[in-house]
Amino acid sequence: MSFFEALAAGFGLVAQWESLFFLALGIAVGVFAGAIPGMSATMAVALTLPFTFALDPIFGILLLLGVYKGGIFGGSIPAILIRTPGTPASSATALDGYPMAEQGKAGKALGMALYASCIADFVSNIALIVFAGWLAQFAMNFGPPEFFTLIVFSLTIIAGVSGDSLTKGIVSAVIGLLLATVGLDLIFGTNRFTFGNANLMGGLNFIAVLIGLFALPEIFAHVRLPRERDGKVRGLGHVGVAFDELKRCFKSIFRGSLIGVFMGSIPGIGAAPSAFLSYSEARRTSPNQANFGKGEIEGVAAAEAGNNGVAGATLIPLLSLGIPGDVITAIIIGAFMVHDLQPGPMLFQTHADIIYALFIGLIVSSVLLFFIGSVAIRGFRYVADIPPNLLFPSVLVLCIFGVYAVNNSAFDVGVMFAMGLLGYAMVLLRFPPAPFLIAFILGPLLENNFRQSLLMSQGAPEIFTRGPITWTFWALTLLALAFIIRTTVSNARLKRRLREESRRHGEGQDEATG
Amino acid sequence: MLSRRDETLIGLGIMALAVFLLAYMVPNWIVAPRSVRLIFLSPMFWPNILGWVLLVLGGLLTLRALLGTAPPEGQADSLAISGPEGLRLVVMTAMLVVIFFAIPVLGMVWTSMLAFVATVLLTGGKRLVLGVLVAVVLPLALYFFFSKVAGVSIPQGDFVRLP
Repeated sequence: MSFFEALAAGFGLVAQWESLFFLALGIAVGVFAGAIPGMSATMAVALTLPFTFALDPIFGILLLLGVYKGGIFGGSIPAILIRTPGTPASSATALDGYPMAEQGKAGKALGMALYASCIADFVSNIALIVFAGWLAQFAMNFGPPEFFTLIVFSLTIIAGVSGDSLTKGIVSAVIGLLLATVGLDLIFGTNRFTFGNANLMGGLNFIAVLIGLFALPEIFAHVRLPRERDGKVRGLGHVGVAFDELKRCFKSIFRGSLIGVFMGSIPGIGAAPSAFLSYSEARRTSPNQANFGKGEIEGVAAAEAGNNGVAGATLIPLLSLGIPGDVITAIIIGAFMVHDLQPGPMLFQTHADIIYALFIGLIVSSVLLFFIGSVAIRGFRYVADIPPNLLFPSVLVLCIFGVYAVNNSAFDVGVMFAMGLLGYAMVLLRFPPAPFLIAFILGPLLENNFRQSLLMSQGAPEIFTRGPITWTFWALTLLALAFIIRTTVSNARLKRRLREESRRHGEGQDEATG
Repeated sequence: MLSRRDETLIGLGIMALAVFLLAYMVPNWIVAPRSVRLIFLSPMFWPNILGWVLLVLGGLLTLRALLGTAPPEGQADSLAISGPEGLRLVVMTAMLVVIFFAIPVLGMVWTSMLAFVATVLLTGGKRLVLGVLVAVVLPLALYFFFSKVAGVSIPQGDFVRLP
């Protein structure tokens, strides 16, 4: 299929009313879920996934991408109105958004967040369209050794999603890799950790694992400490942004979008660092530097641009290489898998129409986000009123139905419950769950490509350095490791210094009071 | 950050898990062909490597907890769970077990309704009337979506069957 044929076929898929309907529905669901404190875009995407089984692949994937994009913007609404970021990436938005809300300018802050989100989302989508096809073309030259080295490099993602402790992040990833080995061995067909149970021969169901890991711990946390939502919802004031204000912030929005594109296209960095980097760059260069943190509209614009600029770019490694850029795209892989589609370079050859339909759909999503977001800003008060003690039981019921529907299997519901317990134990013991999920997805790819390579070479390990592509990935892995070690060491030093300072400060206060 | 004691116990726990994996799980629960030409191709190779990596990481966590700087007194996160909190968590866990076994007997819809109300009661029972209403409507709505729209056969149970 030539480029123009694929484009025309993709346009044909998107031009159906169902495509636009499911995209709009996804955005609405995402904005709604992102706006509920306690829900997150990740949980919203995970819970929506089972509803896509009954849909055509293009409708299902557009629905999920809509939830993803809507969820990221939705997270900014509670960040601004009640200083409770709906997503971690929205924390940067709260820095200036909430002070603006306190000054009675919540509507203006939300309006700017929406403009910045839509513009950054559009820029990010364009980057996806430009780079994904090119990267996929390049990846057509990959064999098992190249894929093995690529996945080894991609596992450095884990450093980006490990939170405070890299060692605990790696432990979490190793447990994910271990659970990925459950089932029949792909070369010999023998049992691995199946305990004589036929349900385990196909391995653990990916969707049961991810929903258990990301949704159930929230329910456990609520059951442990059932609290009513605190935080007063601020009035909106005048909703709308003057053209002069938008013009003044445009430079920060554009820079934030590019930061988002760059950081989103590197697996594992995610939206939160991008939002904070964009915010700090805007503060560094702004003539209103002193007003940042006190209600500066440019701060809201920069944070939201950095946050949303990531959304399209994280799909670059997903679509072109089959590697998830972050946790949400790891979940979106599930949508491809349930429709027997394997993201990666071959998808550009076998289902080019779907790829181009996704590209066109994503561009349309930026426009839809603008309209749906405008309505959501005004309707937040009703969303914020959903009581947690009804929200979380609803999530539980959604999880049960959703996981069962994947394979018509009650056993999968049990797997989800077990994963929920494991996920909550990980939260309590400060083990991050994201490395677990990413390793669980990449585990089979890593092992299969490793073994296939060695089969090809009759056991000679030199195959892993057979050409410039493998060398490039080894070099990138070493560079990433050096960067990770350097960052870990400097973070540890910083923490130690802060701890010593706080200890000295405490002693000083004791002497003063004594 | 957790206290030095908690972090040490976590590190030791990870090491124990790794030893259990290497000494019991891999030899007993992985079936490998009698003669594998290359050791790398054995179904046991990868889980063994992961077991050893886990052991090293557990050791690292333990060493770091023992030799690193501990958080100042009173600033470490606590793992302690109060009596009522622990009780609620135990009841919730037991509830998940009951839900799993009740689905084939009562059916998914009725089990979900009961699970919903039980969770509302477990977390204080506020807005119970609204809770009961949602407990009835939500599973029914999901049942009709999955069974009539998505064509999924939702378990009906042995007692009351839905159309």
